[in-house]
Formats: sequence, structure tokens, C-alpha cells
Amino acid sequence: MPVDHKRINAPESAVPYKLFTKLNTESLKEQYQKAIRDGIRVDGRKPSEHRKIFLKTGIVAHAKGSAYIEQGNTKVVTSVFDPREIPNRTDYCLKGEIYCEFKFAPFSCPKRRLHQQDSQEKECSAIMKKALEAVVCREEFPNFQVDVYALVLHNDGSALSAAVTAAGVALASAGIPMFDIITSSTLAIQGEHSLFDPNFREELLSEIAIEKEHGVVILCVTSTHQQISHFHQTGNLQLNTITQSIDTLHNTCKEIVPVVQKCLVKSVLSVISES
Amino acid sequence: MLILSSEKTDNPARIERTYYLISENIRIDGREREDYRPMEIETDVVSHAFGSSRLRLANTDVLVAVKIEVDAPYPERPLEGKLEFFVDCSANATPEFEGRGGEELAVELSNCLSSAYRSEEVFNLKKLCIMKGRKCWKLYVDILLLEVGGNLFDAVSIAVKAALWNTQIPKIKSINVDGSNIDIQVCDDIFSCTKLDVTGAPLMVTVCKIGDKCIVDPNAAEEQCSVGAVVVAVSRGNICTISQTGTGSFHPDTFKSCLILGISVAQRLEDSLTETLGEIKANQDVGFLK
Repeated sequence: MPVDHKRINAPESAVPYKLFTKLNTESLKEQYQKAIRDGIRVDGRKPSEHRKIFLKTGIVAHAKGSAYIEQGNTKVVTSVFDPREIPNRTDYCLKGEIYCEFKFAPFSCPKRRLHQQDSQEKECSAIMKKALEAVVCREEFPNFQVDVYALVLHNDGSALSAAVTAAGVALASAGIPMFDIITSSTLAIQGEHSLFDPNFREELLSEIAIEKEHGVVILCVTSTHQQISHFHQTGNLQLNTITQSIDTLHNTCKEIVPVVQKCLVKSVLSVISES
Repeated sequence: MLILSSEKTDNPARIERTYYLISENIRIDGREREDYRPMEIETDVVSHAFGSSRLRLANTDVLVAVKIEVDAPYPERPLEGKLEFFVDCSANATPEFEGRGGEELAVELSNCLSSAYRSEEVFNLKKLCIMKGRKCWKLYVDILLLEVGGNLFDAVSIAVKAALWNTQIPKIKSINVDGSNIDIQVCDDIFSCTKLDVTGAPLMVTVCKIGDKCIVDPNAAEEQCSVGAVVVAVSRGNICTISQTGTGSFHPDTFKSCLILGISVAQRLEDSLTETLGEIKANQDVGFLK
């Protein structure tokens, strides 16, 4: 891992103080049982309940298109910039490219994030890129690339899903030709519990093997064509659980579409009233 | 997905023939849709490594070596050892890898591997702990792509599993703790080592969609015909990671059928790999280039 010499980094041996708090003395099973009690989660939601979404376009003045999404406490800003020629490319390519950069702000997680992208952020960027490439008409801008930046201001779980949904809105508001609206949703599974739109703690606990079956599933869907533009899963799950989660996540993604449509209509109306 | 420059000029008639033949469940090289090309596997090829393997699948050639070091565990997971994957795309493999060309593919491969090995059900990192919160083994799995002939994910996952199967972890004789100083004594006899448990180590199967049919182990021409592929990592019949390569999108039903195909193929692959690895005798004399 290359070290950033231009900034003052925290000492490598630093340990987050939260590890020494009382909560951490409990076993993982107890922690999970606290996270979901009698079918109700810590924030009062049912397992299949999605958090409320707030979506707004045009919040970065210098960007061609931008969007801000709030999903519970998760807050993400995405911005899209004008197509530009692909740097360091000599041969001609028929399809344009999308460059994605997904970044957690240093203060967005319980543990401090560095300014440089770490491997998790790189993985998220790659997932975002693949999800968005399927909805953008890339043959409309050959030899050019569109830059998409996502900055997570507060990570309270499902940050990648929020970023993909917001990036779809930002691309549309930037006037980039697109086939469809893209929405995304996350599911955290532990044993027989499946939690939609998990918060940070639920997401973290589902990545650890407390029961035999556990995992996190992310689905990105295009709304009119009903196609899976990207699917990502980690953990250890049976085939049945996965096929079921595809169906249920697909429905959740459909429910987000009206929010996105309303937001886009609003942004178009505001542009018309301005001119 | 990687498309080599020579394949870009593949003629349309050949592509059309690929499409047609696949719908008839026979492929250009005579295989059926669910068949793999023959592969060759060797273990213990690098003498400086603790475990190594080399896999050749048609034109794809992968060399994997495992190095072990003593390290301190992560403070949030004091009971676990560490496992890290590094993929090196040598410019020998294809001219496209020159400079930073292979970086994207390398990151994709190592991310996919590390997320497949993350679950405790798949690979138990607790076995690599020497002393809680203080010392653990760190496994560096270095993957070197020597030649690229398509279907990299499958080849790499098989080679990694074989290398981990071959890995010998030194036995520890005694641990002396003196304040913050920890002294580890390794067993004198270099042949008394413990082997890793790799029964759950995942195998990845790339399922390629061509027309409305799915195939495994695509060759170069077939990779060009397909719009996208699903990589399914399977461990003991359960799926531990799903990822997509390429830029295409899938209908949910097609996607599910890809997963079913992926699991059944991985099971067969697993069986034949276990059988092959079982046939390898200790200290068998095999040369790197035979």
C-alpha cells in the first residue's frame, strides 16, 4: 500500500478507541440479537422496510450534473462532468467510457479514512462503473470519457447503493444520453434474517459468519427494461437464498423509481422556469 | 473482459457460426456448453515459496506462489490471521499489459478473490493465529499471469486453491513472552509442517451468455460474442461471491439460470481437482517447463 507523503498521516499503530468500549465485550451473537429484537430493528424499522430517501439535483455548481442523496443517515454527493477525451489513449475506441471514483470522506466512517483510495473504495468504484456502463448510451460519445465522482459524507450502510442511484440521477441531469433509469438496493443476510437497506452496524455484522449463511447482496436494476445491470454478493449463501433475494431486491428497486422520476421532473421544471 | 488485438479482427462468419453452434449445444472446438478445455496442473514448482502451483488451461498460463510471514493481527479481529492476494499482469502475457495496462484487471481479480475468501465458512483465518492480538501468520498469495488465453477467473481460482493446498505452515515449538517482546521458536525439523485446510476454498466459474444460452470456459472467439459474464465463486455448494464482468446487463431469469449452471459446473470441477490433487505424491520430481 503506497503511503501518502504529502499529508500528515495518523501513526500506523493507532487503534480506534471504540474497540475498548463495553459494547465490544459482547459476543457477536449478542450484538446481532441486539440489532434485531422481535423482528424490529434498532431504528424501529421492520426487516423489509427501506429507509426514507431524499434526492436533489444540481447541488454542485461547477459540475455538469450532480445529485445529493440521503438515505436515513447515509449521505452521498455525486457529480458528473462533461465528456472529455480519454487521456493517454492512442487508438480509437467505438464506445465512450465512464470513469468512476467512489470515495469515503475521511470523517464518514467510525474509523478514519485516508485521502487516497483504499482497496474497498477501488472495488466500489469498479462496481459503480460496471453498473452505470449498462445504462449509458456509450456509442453516442466515442473516444470520450465521462467522469462520475461519488463522495460519501456519512456512511450509515448501503452507501454504494445510494451512490449508484444518485449517480444515475446525476448522469440524467447532466444530459448524458441514457437508456434507462438505474436504481440500486442492498440486502444484508444473517441466518434467517434478511434486512433491507441495512445500516452500518447491520451491514458490518452480516459480513461476519455468526450463522452458517450470511452475506451482503447489492442489486442494480434498470427500471423499464427490467434488467440487472450489476449484481454483487459477498459472504456465504445458498442458491435459494440468492434467487429469493434477487426477486425481493428487484421489487425494492422498483419502489425507488418514482422517487427518482419525481426528482428529475422537478429539476427539469426548475430549468424551464429559469429560462 | 479482455479482448486481444488479434481477436478484434475475427471475421463475422466465424462469429455467426459460433452463435449457431452454441444454440445446438456444440462448440467450434467440439465441446458441449458445459465442458472445460483440458488443463494441466503442477504443484510445488517454486522452491523458495511455502506453496506453489502452476496451471495451464489451453492458452492461459498462471503461476501462483504463497509466502508466509509473521505479523500482528488487525486490532478489530485479534483472533484471525491475514490473507492477501496480489495479481501481477506481466507484459509477457499480452502486449496490452505493458505499463499500467493490466492494473484494472489485476485489481478486479484480487478484489474478487479476497471477497470470495472473506467468509469464515469458506476459509478459516483463525487457524492462522499464533497468539491472540499479538502474533499471527500472514499469507501472501502472489499470482503471476504468464499467458492470457481467456477465462482468467476460473484458472486463477483453481491455481490459488492448489497453491494453498500445497502450502506448508511451519510448526511452532515455543513462544516466549517478555513484556511487549514476543519470541517465537519454530520447529527445527523443516519437514514437520501443518497443511492448510482448503476443503472450503472457493472455485470461480465464469458463465458467459451467448445468444440466449450460457456457456462455461469460453475461448477467445466466444468471449468476443458474449456481452457479459457472471463470475460465481462456489464453496461447498454455497455461493460465496458473485460478480459480473463485461458491460452487459442480464434479465433476472437468465441471471438465475447462470447461477444454477455455475454451481453445478463448480461442483464437478471441485471433484476432479480434489481427485487430481490426491494423486500428486510428495516430493514428486516435476520440472517447471517439463
